[in-house]
Amino acid sequence: MQERKVTISNRLGLHARAAAQLVRRASQFNSSVELLRQDTGETADGKSILSVLLLAAACETCLIIKTEGDDEERAVNALAELVEQKFGEEISDGVF
Amino acid sequence: MASSSATRSRDVKLQGVPASPGIAVGRVLRLDERGRHQFYYIGVSAAQARMEVRRLREAPEEARNQLREIKVRLAEELGYEHSFILDAHLLMLEDARLIHELENEIRTRRVNAEWAVRSVADRAITVYKQVSDPYLRERTSDLEDVATRLLTILSGHDKFDLSKLDQDVIIVAKNIWPSTVAELDFGHVLGFATNTGGLTAHSAIIARSLRIPAVVGLHDVTRLAKTGNLIVVDGAAGEVILRPTKSVLKAYIEKRERENSYRVRDDAETAQAAETIDGVRMTLRANVELPTEIESLRLFGAEGIGLYRSEFLFLNRLPELPGEDEQYEVYRKLAEATGEPGANIRVFDLGGDKLTLAGFEAEQNPALGLRAMRLSLKAEYIFRTQLRAVLRANLHGRLRVVLPLISTITELREAKRIIADVKQELADAQVEHNAHLPIGVMIEVPAAALMADVFAREADFLSVGTNDLIQYILAVDRANENVAHLYQPLHPAILRTIAHLVRVAEAAQVPLELCGEMAADPLQAIALIGLGIRTLSLVPGSIPLVKNAIRSVEFDRVRSLMKEAMKLTSSTEVEELLARELPQQAPRFFAAWSSPA
Repeated sequence: MQERKVTISNRLGLHARAAAQLVRRASQFNSSVELLRQDTGETADGKSILSVLLLAAACETCLIIKTEGDDEERAVNALAELVEQKFGEEISDGVF
Repeated sequence: MASSSATRSRDVKLQGVPASPGIAVGRVLRLDERGRHQFYYIGVSAAQARMEVRRLREAPEEARNQLREIKVRLAEELGYEHSFILDAHLLMLEDARLIHELENEIRTRRVNAEWAVRSVADRAITVYKQVSDPYLRERTSDLEDVATRLLTILSGHDKFDLSKLDQDVIIVAKNIWPSTVAELDFGHVLGFATNTGGLTAHSAIIARSLRIPAVVGLHDVTRLAKTGNLIVVDGAAGEVILRPTKSVLKAYIEKRERENSYRVRDDAETAQAAETIDGVRMTLRANVELPTEIESLRLFGAEGIGLYRSEFLFLNRLPELPGEDEQYEVYRKLAEATGEPGANIRVFDLGGDKLTLAGFEAEQNPALGLRAMRLSLKAEYIFRTQLRAVLRANLHGRLRVVLPLISTITELREAKRIIADVKQELADAQVEHNAHLPIGVMIEVPAAALMADVFAREADFLSVGTNDLIQYILAVDRANENVAHLYQPLHPAILRTIAHLVRVAEAAQVPLELCGEMAADPLQAIALIGLGIRTLSLVPGSIPLVKNAIRSVEFDRVRSLMKEAMKLTSSTEVEELLARELPQQAPRFFAAWSSPA
């Protein structure tokens, strides 16, 4: 099993568009993908959009991505990268 | 011609919210709210449950196929930004967890597939409704839409193939779901009338974009109207008349013909200038909400865009913000399409009665709350992202920005400081852009109107937004039926305010534009011109009508007429004066225009 701690850093958190991207990416791997919300202890199936949306993870929320399966390492890397790159949303531009 | 319906009551008149202008006369097609009431619990045996599971498994596949088709059509007809909503629906239908739960429901509770869909959807909706995040709570409408689609497929009684209507209809429904709008065969849809919805509802926006008359917020039109009934939809007045009598029907058909005769124009006439008989040239610009409306600019002869309502980029997708590059693409399109006359990009007018942004609490009194420019100055990152996109797109044409709902000069100064800062930032990062970006102030708040001379010194131009200005000067919410009669665009207080703004702008040599529904009403537009307004911005579809009115009058006489009007004491007196004098001054246009009963 692979684990990676990430912080949601896109301003609006895991809302529909971001969640959809995450679910799509997660579904490309064989491994199971679980998201654990650190502050509340809630978990979500990373391949289910309903489940991910219900985490209601806002900006600054810490999540632990857990993957398990034959491609678990590639999966955890890809998903962490997606979160770190703010789901490709170029909103803040580091201006502040 | 009259309806053969057994229902005797005639001329049932309903007042709703005007959502899209124009008059439609035709037969009702009532869309029942699919799903809710049609599906019953059926207990099944274990063997039957297996069959129900098999039946269920085929439904999401069919639903996905339908949605993919709709998505392609929607993207072609209305642009990519509308198809985003369907992505979420598609993903829900692919959600293994949801499918598993549905199958489990059938197996363990031994129910039919329809009942399983209904109860699982209801449970998910209940959970969503408890989430504190307002955006997530809103997703229930998407869930309901998906559940309804599945139920319709399962039950096999899709009543109408909405994409292949064989006769012209007026759609009457409780609410029109985004995906239903997407499925409609617009060639046969003459109009909409719905129980729920406001001006910014998705269906209202699409109706405006397609120039289909629509009235929303009618409360119980679905109860009163039956499929096949005759119905009149007056989209500008926000009125619906069910089962009209012959005389009423005739009056509306005439009104429709009159409007249409001004609407359909040949190229030669579109190219004519908006000039009065005595040679005073007016400028008619377009109000635009969707990038797909750009085509209509040339069609209706608009001279650029006087008001681009940028908040429509948020359509159906709050709280995700459109990113800088996505905004850039849209603004660039606007810049390229408008060329020399250019386009005014109004800064996001969010909050209040319009779209709300997550993270900001609902307010007691939103019309006076954190909205428009106030919100952009508070959530500065939103403003900065928008400015970066505008400044970059400005390389491809002549863009200007307009700041909505400014009430004090410090807001303008603060906005200008941020704009200068963003320009510097782009220059430092060597990002290509065009820093020549005129800044305009929307005059919508009485304080700004009174202080217009001060704003004129520090802004590059002024733009009067009559919809809000009237609401704030008269303290009337026009959507509130109890006080709607007090919403009077020709109230002398409004005329005095506009005359004042004209004087101030002339003295300061600052361009003055005006946008709002007044500009799209021929009579009111002529009144505005008489007060000295030279540039009007209006819905593109109304430009030929207003241009025709302008070409039928003499400026000198209209100006004298408005001098008379300014001496009057009430809106009614002003209306009476105009209704009496304009047909005499300009019989070619106004004799035919005098309003029906």
